[in-house]
Amino acid sequence: MGLLSDPSISTQNKLVDSLAKHVRKVCSGFYVLGVVWLACLALPEFNHGTYLSENALSPGLVYPEIRIDSNRLASQLLEELQRERKEHQSTTPHAWITAKFNEFGLETHTHNYTLRYPFGGGKEYHGKNIYGILRAPRIASTEGIVFTAPYRAPTSVHPDISPSVPLLLAFADFARRKNYWAKDLIFLVTEQEQLGMQAWLEAYHDGDRVMNVSKAYLLPGNLPARAGSLQAALNIEVQDLEIDYVDVKIEGLNGKLPNLDMFNLVQRIMAREGITSGYKQTLRKKRRSNPTVFEKNLRQMLSMLATQSSGVPNGNHGLFHRYRIDALTIAAAKRQTHATLKGNAGSAAVPLLKAIEGIARSLNNLLERFHQSFFFYVIVNNDRYISIGDYMPALVALVACAFFKAYLTWSTLDFELQPAATATASAETQSGSEPDTAVEDGLPYGSVLIYLTAVLLIGYLGNVLPLQQYFLEIPMGAAPLTTSVLSFLTLIGFILPFVVVLPAGGLELLHVGFLLIFGCSLIVIGLLNFALGFFVAVLTVPVVIALETSEKNWNGSMRNLTRLITVLLNPMVVVYLIVLCMSFYQFPELKLDKLLLRAATAAMDASAYGLIDCVIYGNWLYFVVSTVFLPLWILCWTLALSKRREIADYSDNEEAQRRKPKPQPQTKLKTN
Amino acid sequence: MDAKFYKLILLGGAVRFYFVRTPLASLISDRVEFATPLNSQKRMKEGIYLLDQGIDPYSGDLVHETPLVLKALSGLFLNFPQWLPLIYIMLDLLTGALLYNLSVRFVKQKLQKQCLERKNYAKDTEQLQYNDDDNYDIPELVLIAYLFNPLTVLSCIGLTSTVLSNLFLALFLYFLTKGLLLPCIFLLAFETVRSFYPIVLMAPLLLVFARRSFAGGVILSVLFAVACLIIAAASYLVIESWSFLEGTLGFIFYFRDLQPNIGLFWYFFTEMFEHFRTMFLITFQLNATVLYLVPLSLKLRKEPLLLATVLVALMAVFRAYPSLGDVGFYLALLPLWKRCWKYMAHGFVVFTFFLVTLSMMGTLWHLWIYAGSANANFYFGATLAFSTGQIFLITDLLFAHVKREFCLYNGQKIMIDGEEARILLK
Repeated sequence: MGLLSDPSISTQNKLVDSLAKHVRKVCSGFYVLGVVWLACLALPEFNHGTYLSENALSPGLVYPEIRIDSNRLASQLLEELQRERKEHQSTTPHAWITAKFNEFGLETHTHNYTLRYPFGGGKEYHGKNIYGILRAPRIASTEGIVFTAPYRAPTSVHPDISPSVPLLLAFADFARRKNYWAKDLIFLVTEQEQLGMQAWLEAYHDGDRVMNVSKAYLLPGNLPARAGSLQAALNIEVQDLEIDYVDVKIEGLNGKLPNLDMFNLVQRIMAREGITSGYKQTLRKKRRSNPTVFEKNLRQMLSMLATQSSGVPNGNHGLFHRYRIDALTIAAAKRQTHATLKGNAGSAAVPLLKAIEGIARSLNNLLERFHQSFFFYVIVNNDRYISIGDYMPALVALVACAFFKAYLTWSTLDFELQPAATATASAETQSGSEPDTAVEDGLPYGSVLIYLTAVLLIGYLGNVLPLQQYFLEIPMGAAPLTTSVLSFLTLIGFILPFVVVLPAGGLELLHVGFLLIFGCSLIVIGLLNFALGFFVAVLTVPVVIALETSEKNWNGSMRNLTRLITVLLNPMVVVYLIVLCMSFYQFPELKLDKLLLRAATAAMDASAYGLIDCVIYGNWLYFVVSTVFLPLWILCWTLALSKRREIADYSDNEEAQRRKPKPQPQTKLKTN
Repeated sequence: MDAKFYKLILLGGAVRFYFVRTPLASLISDRVEFATPLNSQKRMKEGIYLLDQGIDPYSGDLVHETPLVLKALSGLFLNFPQWLPLIYIMLDLLTGALLYNLSVRFVKQKLQKQCLERKNYAKDTEQLQYNDDDNYDIPELVLIAYLFNPLTVLSCIGLTSTVLSNLFLALFLYFLTKGLLLPCIFLLAFETVRSFYPIVLMAPLLLVFARRSFAGGVILSVLFAVACLIIAAASYLVIESWSFLEGTLGFIFYFRDLQPNIGLFWYFFTEMFEHFRTMFLITFQLNATVLYLVPLSLKLRKEPLLLATVLVALMAVFRAYPSLGDVGFYLALLPLWKRCWKYMAHGFVVFTFFLVTLSMMGTLWHLWIYAGSANANFYFGATLAFSTGQIFLITDLLFAHVKREFCLYNGQKIMIDGEEARILLK
């Protein structure tokens, strides 16, 4: 008989019963399977070579026309810019850039925006982007491609990338002379790192939207001119005209990636121009150890997942993804060694200019948006990738533990409760105390539901409280404010299971509910941002497997260990530990006490940045941590603690009942 | 009708009233899972406006509500739009109250029937029999399942016209248990002209009112046809054109709008070759209507209400433009079969299925439509899994019913040669 028409009359399933005894073994099996599966994907047999799926791109079909005169222009512009930079130490030389755009015959506009920083009483920052549009001669401004170069003032803490602007200008000058453009080209110079980019994108897409000025944090203003729907964007960050290698950055907001075709296109054209380029490309060092392919791949893969998991874009390109525009950054590093110097300095930037031209002309060929190739992939090597169908099973195996355990816990629920119920009943008849009808009526759904709602509410508060007006008016920095609110909520969560004790059967039911919510949220998070979902699953699933509410098959040391690990897995503790590890690697010379302190401040800053990222850029990380992970942790902590009304409580005489510090409030919350 | 009933109704109303004023309401009224081309509030508004302007609402391909409903609600929509949410909430609460009364009556009938048959029952089957507590428990569960099911709540705050469909279906079922023939026939005819699929509910109607006599069945069918004609004629009088037939029934039957929804139609009809369309159209519509009708009616001839429940559920799965509001409605009827629950082995699996697929639907829709990174296949995968979950539930209910019937007469523990007996379906 089939799955649907189980012929057995009895409701007890033997298979389930026998499986239930080995829940932990089976779940551990799933866990190992998931982790091993992901590791296996680094093997060359398990991943695929990249290929260009979109034929319209036809990279390398045209002969690059950009010549040495563009290079000369770029170096001349760079010299001019260097002179300007001496006068503008902490600002952008807007006038010079505008003048150059105008000189090259572009339709030049400026874009002003305002950031109202909400914390510590509130401050206002102003910024200005400059962009020039090259109207395509062959189309009525319905589609566009963006080339952007972030400008950094000399006082910036980040590495100097000022040659990007001359390079962009030189390319603009070249492009203006050509008549084959089928898409408008936008040349954009932004300032203030990602803020300028975000403001420009918001202004481009939602500029005419009437917004509630009192509530918005970033006031993007409006743009005087647009160039249709943006198809793709290329962000250029060049440290010098003489370059060593190009690092292609792809990770965007919330772990989104550009279409794999776009990455392949850049790789292929860079290769044609003889530029060393790659994903996470670094200076080639002579290593003593020679890692195997597997080791290299695994390292690359994990480092990609790590970058993705925070959801913070690693370049200005990442913000485009939110608007469904495929974008990536080509970050060219300054030439360190002169040993491999090929040409003379006079033509150093020609390969890069040729590459940009090649990319631009390929993008110009696009007939529709990038859609052919993958959007969900992990790059294991410059020319090898793993698609979603291959890596998702790893996460599914991890999450399957939760559902499997939930099912077995549920099916053994009535079975386990029966002895407890009879014990309670007999105890009641002895002591004559108020009958607890929860067990006889069935499981205490009502109180568990209320508990779940309360816990979810705590998480929700973590999301909205720090932004309330009365908190914002406190003259306190963003970091201490966010941290104190979060710590307060965590503390409530920590104490909650001590104060509120669920009625009999409640813990088991809560366990099932917890497992379901846990599994569901991990699947959803994993779909949106695989890296985050997977790492969280790897960290938390062992504890989830170890959790057990009944006393008998859970010995003391195991129980205490689980409790300890649960405390360590508190979102705030995890953030602190991650920051601690990072600062240890960054500042290995610091002493332990200083390191701990430094990590504490850094962790506080991190939570505040998370919140600011959330409200300004739309990063989900803070939201997910406070609204999903914190409640889940509270539930996990409740279960690890397993505070229950002991059967002894019922069998004690009435005096003991009266001596109990407080009558449990949940008896009122019983199921209707 | 005790204090608890009123408390629950008030609480249900409060929940809806709270959510209808949050931004969630406008979000839901645009979600494909709740608002289909048939029941969306925006289309209803459009239709009413067109009707008011004297333009045939069905000349475009936007409005698919019957003229009678458009006419009936036009005063409300045009003059008191701010009261609209309140009216919808009241109607939804009324549906809840009807379901409550229906189940009170149903349990009473069951108990009476049980009294007559008790002597035939096996010994240890008290657990399977309806008892006096069920008089209160089952109606209450039904009410809770309707009022506090997130699916019905969201469907109500999205102001979809599923609220009306649910009300009419609840009224139909109520009159069915009460044994009032004419209201039953008219409601059914009205719903049939409005959304086609309820025609299958003729089967339980015939089983209730014309069980023994063939002639009675024929008369009822003729009566039903006449009622349909009257309603169609009334609709004609409202807009003075027959275009509404093409706009409502034709639109449903020919499946013209391929907008994604939680059903199974849209994906197949976007993928298939155009010249196979007619064949698949007929296959799919047969599947949604008559395919299960005859076997189920034969098997469940003694339980017309169970038949109605199952048919309503199948309708919610297989109809052309299903919405989650329909799913919420039949879920509310499940507590009527509380005594079968013991044999429903897949309840938890189905619940997990619903939870996971519903949360995935939202995510994948976001990835597909807004982020542009996923595509239709991802979303269809989730809806397919959701439909599978529903089928699991329906099959489970039917099988549990069969098992209960068997055990009621043969006892719960049957041993053959020291081993537990197994039921074989032959």
